[in-house]
Amino acid sequence: MSKKTYYIGVVLIAALVVSIVFLYVYTKPQAPSIEQKVVVYAYNDKITGIDPSVEDDTGLVVLGSIYETLTYYDYKTSEVKPRLAVNWTSSSDGKEWVFYLRKGVKFHDGTPFNSTAVKVSVERARDIYRETGRGMGYIWDAVEEIEIVDEYTVKFKLSYPQRLDLLASGSYAAYIFSPSVLEKAGVSSYMDRELEDWFNNGNAVGTGPYKLVYYDPVREVKLEKNSDWWGWREVSNPNAPDVVIIKIVTEPIAQYNGLLSGEIDIASSVPRENIKTLLEKGFKSINLSTYHNFVLFFNTKRYPTNIREFRLAIVHALDMSRIIRDALLGYGKVASGVLPHGFPGHVDNLVYQYNLAKAREYLSIAGVKSPVTITLLYQVDYEETRKFAEIFKSMMMELGVNVELDPQDWARLKDIAKEIWRNPDETPHLVIADWWPTIPSPYDYLYTMLHSESKEWNFAGYENNLFDDLIDSAWILEGENYTKAIELYVQAQQLVYEDVPAVGLWDEIRPFIYSGRINLPEEALNPLYMFVIRFELVEVRS
Amino acid sequence: MPVSLNYIFKRTMLSILVILGVIVFSYLLLMLTPGDPAVKWAGNPRGPGAVKAIELARVELGLDKPLYVQIANFIYNFLTGNLGLSIAYKIPVSQVVISGFTATLELILFTYLFSIPLGVWLGLYSAIKRGSRIDSFIQSLSIVLASTPTFWLGSLILLASNTFTGFLPYGRVSSKLVLSTGFTPITGFYLLDSLIQGNIPVFIDALVRIIPPALAISVYPIGVLARVTRTLIAEALLEDYVRAAVAWGIKRETIIRQFVLRSIIPPVIQISGLSFVYSLVDAMVVETVVFGREGLGSILLDSLHKADFRVTLALAVYLTAFYIIVNTLVDIVQATIDPRIRL
Repeated sequence: MSKKTYYIGVVLIAALVVSIVFLYVYTKPQAPSIEQKVVVYAYNDKITGIDPSVEDDTGLVVLGSIYETLTYYDYKTSEVKPRLAVNWTSSSDGKEWVFYLRKGVKFHDGTPFNSTAVKVSVERARDIYRETGRGMGYIWDAVEEIEIVDEYTVKFKLSYPQRLDLLASGSYAAYIFSPSVLEKAGVSSYMDRELEDWFNNGNAVGTGPYKLVYYDPVREVKLEKNSDWWGWREVSNPNAPDVVIIKIVTEPIAQYNGLLSGEIDIASSVPRENIKTLLEKGFKSINLSTYHNFVLFFNTKRYPTNIREFRLAIVHALDMSRIIRDALLGYGKVASGVLPHGFPGHVDNLVYQYNLAKAREYLSIAGVKSPVTITLLYQVDYEETRKFAEIFKSMMMELGVNVELDPQDWARLKDIAKEIWRNPDETPHLVIADWWPTIPSPYDYLYTMLHSESKEWNFAGYENNLFDDLIDSAWILEGENYTKAIELYVQAQQLVYEDVPAVGLWDEIRPFIYSGRINLPEEALNPLYMFVIRFELVEVRS
Repeated sequence: MPVSLNYIFKRTMLSILVILGVIVFSYLLLMLTPGDPAVKWAGNPRGPGAVKAIELARVELGLDKPLYVQIANFIYNFLTGNLGLSIAYKIPVSQVVISGFTATLELILFTYLFSIPLGVWLGLYSAIKRGSRIDSFIQSLSIVLASTPTFWLGSLILLASNTFTGFLPYGRVSSKLVLSTGFTPITGFYLLDSLIQGNIPVFIDALVRIIPPALAISVYPIGVLARVTRTLIAEALLEDYVRAAVAWGIKRETIIRQFVLRSIIPPVIQISGLSFVYSLVDAMVVETVVFGREGLGSILLDSLHKADFRVTLALAVYLTAFYIIVNTLVDIVQATIDPRIRL
């Protein structure tokens, strides 16, 4: 070794030591914190944003614990219950609503919750949607004017009747944030795009039971208990977690491993075939019947799926009970119509019975000579749809229909499926898509999936004026006469049942697996806010 | 001066050309594949305003402009260090890429920390024991190691960990431990960060978790290096200068240490450099699919699934740059330590 090399080596080592000492001095580890109750919740997707007015995807998992809505939808009783609003009244024509707000509520930064916060939150969601079409602000479409009657009373004037109490319980676009965000973000208008960036950079000022303390949408989100939350006296849970870590664990097998190693306390997506093993090892589970459903769309503009009898042949050759048993291992419920079980407006008898003889009869009436080949487009990263597609293919072979499988990821699937409006003959005959609701209204599903104006999501290319009129009228009627509105939604679903542009396949049953050191009560889960856990109800055992 | 400035200049120019080529090719490829980034940017809009939202998003992303303008804009943004926000997560692209990059790089650096010495030692030992049973065994072993699929081995290691130790190496570090010890990442390399902070529990935890994936990834470099080293040493032992040294009565250990080992350093560095970059791809698969660690693998996969072309392109560019930098460094180090090489 030459002297020169030796000196270089010495200098490098000295530089390294100095750097380490320097960094050590400036980043001394903090003293271990006092024993905290920590819950790690494994969620299976990365977070797509946390702007309370705009976010319309996975951000719900975070938003649901930080922010609150005016009302809360109780799926068990189908009732709308108070949250930030303690009471509300509506005019007889359903066009004027007054909400009486909860007093003494504070946002996480200490600013008071009041009518102004409600006004700016609702207006922002609505106006961003009106101006740019982004987000779910269309739920406030009817809101013409928001009047601040006093500090804790706010009046909504609508351009057409609406069930505003239901809309205010929505899982998106209905969250109330503090007006102080304007100053914190350094912007002059709530419509400023920079405010959206500020939120998405990991900032939040809500009233919810947990505060956001760390946000990394690809790794984990950390929430801390909000001791000033108004609801603690109501839930009375001294064992609620002090810290909640929402950990992004996309691989189901990694969630399984995390549970076993004690890293994860609640898992939302372990492989279904491993659940039995986990239960045997002392883990517990709650099976949530969700509003997340899977629907098979028929291309109604392309031969042979444009023939109603051919579609009927397909649905009668489909043994959904077997599929749920084999492909979903029982974690699904045979769908009846396109609205999930338990959802407002759901109808129970819209199931096509499996009957191969009948299916063959319909095939013969359709005049489609076998062998015929059709294509099925489905989402490859959903294990359920992948297994469904394989079994479906074999079932259709029994009917003499050959199915070519076209697996795609979601972005591409949507791109291909919506081409039905421009190029139906090049669009696959069948598409499987899934849906979960924004608001507890049948319009949410029916408009999006089957209205002739819903060119982005109506993968069937279904155009039926009667259907459109029925659901449009029902939507308006919801504010005036809810019972009559539901009747119209039922009629619309019966029409779909007869026309068969789409068929509900299954409603998902999602197993949440959790460790023995915590108690996850059933009330902590709600199918409307799927994946959102009400951590304030979770108990951590020492 | 073994490394001329002219060489470095030429190499840099060539690298820039390669990166530009990768940008253009990747951009075209991404735009040709189905999946509309505007839909994702608009947030998969529903309701009556969906079409309007997508059109506005397209304008905002600049996707309404001709392709050459889009590519020029991307290059300009890249050069000015402003790659914009990720389409899927709405946070700066650089933040997404760096967080994944440090995780994966830490894994590979750790892997190579023991793979290179082990591979070289195996090769050396095999060459010394040439013709013996141990030589045959090491040779066979190196072939098996180099050709073992890492994801398969990773799964086996995971299974073995569970069966024999009851431990499942999941993630990079325990979130609960991080919380209780107040660990704060500085560089993103958790092993280094925990050492800097004197946080021994986190260091041990991170170490225990990095070993299983590192073992899975290490088989390829160990196998290749053992094989290459053996061949190089076997060839060197037949060289005239070794024979002369033997004739002079110099000890066998001294010959190997002083002459033979020195002569094989440049090719070993070259092979290590090449396999280092190859291991990046290996790590991206193993860390994500088998061990549930965050890293470049999950970010790349997600960016493709979610039509996040900004992140995909950034990854393509950074990975290309990484490849070029590693290879250039290898060349420079080679030229520096081997006076026969003039770059």
